[in-house]
Amino acid sequence: MFVEAILQVLREIFPTETIEVQAVPIDESFIALPPNCIHHATEMLVDRFDLRHLSTITGQDTGSAIELLYHFWDGGGLTLRTSLPRNEPHIETLTDLIPGAALYEREVCEMLGVTFDGHPDPRPLLLPDNWDKKQFPMKIDHQNNRLPGQATD
Amino acid sequence: MLKEPLSFLLTIEGEKVVDSVLRFGYVHRGIERICQNRNYVQNVHVVGRVCGICSHVHTTTYCQGVEALLGLQVPPQALYLRTLLCELERIHSHLLWLGVLAENVGFTTIFMYAWRDREIALDIVDELSGGRVAHTINVIGGVRIDVSEGQVDTMLARLDELEQRIETLLGVIQHEHTFQVRTRGVGHLSAEQVRRYCVVGPIARASGVDVDLRRDAPYAAYDQLDFRVITTEEGDVWARTMVRVQETIESLRLCRQLLAGLPGGPTSVRARLRVPPGEVVSRAEAPRGEVIYYIRSDGSDRPARVKIRTPTLPALITIPDQLRDVNTADVPAVLAGIDLCIACVDR
Repeated sequence: MFVEAILQVLREIFPTETIEVQAVPIDESFIALPPNCIHHATEMLVDRFDLRHLSTITGQDTGSAIELLYHFWDGGGLTLRTSLPRNEPHIETLTDLIPGAALYEREVCEMLGVTFDGHPDPRPLLLPDNWDKKQFPMKIDHQNNRLPGQATD
Repeated sequence: MLKEPLSFLLTIEGEKVVDSVLRFGYVHRGIERICQNRNYVQNVHVVGRVCGICSHVHTTTYCQGVEALLGLQVPPQALYLRTLLCELERIHSHLLWLGVLAENVGFTTIFMYAWRDREIALDIVDELSGGRVAHTINVIGGVRIDVSEGQVDTMLARLDELEQRIETLLGVIQHEHTFQVRTRGVGHLSAEQVRRYCVVGPIARASGVDVDLRRDAPYAAYDQLDFRVITTEEGDVWARTMVRVQETIESLRLCRQLLAGLPGGPTSVRARLRVPPGEVVSRAEAPRGEVIYYIRSDGSDRPARVKIRTPTLPALITIPDQLRDVNTADVPAVLAGIDLCIACVDR
């Protein structure tokens, strides 16, 4: 299984980190890494395993951190997981290794306020032009004023 | 042209396109956020509205993710019926696309015929589920429909008729000189470009990248079926046409296999409303390629996060490459060749 081989190489290039695999239903493995290792790890995936299909990047606000999940796929799923601080999160872009990551990163940027350092074109992707640039709709404390209020008797 | 809200800013020198800038998000509904405010059962109907053409594959991907979190064994009859709808959806989506492409290159006859023949597939779907496109037959733990033997016979007869019509369409397209002139060499993508931009589905297969989740990561009942994955090497709009039309014929074969092999028995199992904490990544092959759902549960009756990536999103990033140096008159053909679904992209 290719996850074992990848894990071995990851442990070689980041000897000081403890790297664990989390098995997730439907043939997927999650590997958690610190944010500063993601770019180097992806470079290794691309160069040594030819793993170039990045399905998408999930960004989520867990309340204590902003989590990024990089979902790769090559006959089986592999997800790199990293946690960023909620206050001014930023991480190195992957667009230099995988140009297809550009739109995924732009979406995470506008929805959660994560800055991707070195992204060639960090414009907003989906939100309206007049959207308040300091509001991030996927953050859990974002107030949606347009939701109907609770029903009363 | 496309009847979808998408803005292109083209820079033109003479008749050649030099650069293009895309702007989308005009039908952004915030479905990922909406899902966090609804329970798992309500969300089946929400994700069915992500796309107006391939709604079934979205509910399938979502349901199989939630079922994996719940640890449910879905009955084989339900998996067969899910797969049957997936294939019928692929047939009508590809025929719709063929009509759009034909209209965009000025071949109105094929547009009329393709959309007329698509009605046969839609009639079958309508009879099975009660809806033409937004039918939501999936429930968590199975499907809400079943088929009788009488229905199987009428469906088989209609599938035969549809196959004849598609063979005729294919014959016309293959021998129509003007159609070839309009599509050959237009909107070219190499296999290397496809891999760089993480493009999926028929566009990737038309450029010689042999990926199909139905074969590579079988879900529903695909591991029990026998089918070919169609690939070509040319990578232009012509190649995409050939891939999609031949895939439609392959899908018809799959429908027959499914109807012949229906295992019978119950169509759903009971699912609990509260989902144990966990995470899942669920993938499926939509008509346009890989759909991926990431679902995280915190143990309550509503998901903590639902992430949806639809296959058109990676295809959009290739548009500037595809449009570079094409004639302005070929822009509609290039855009149609991608099979854009903007509602999917915006979510």
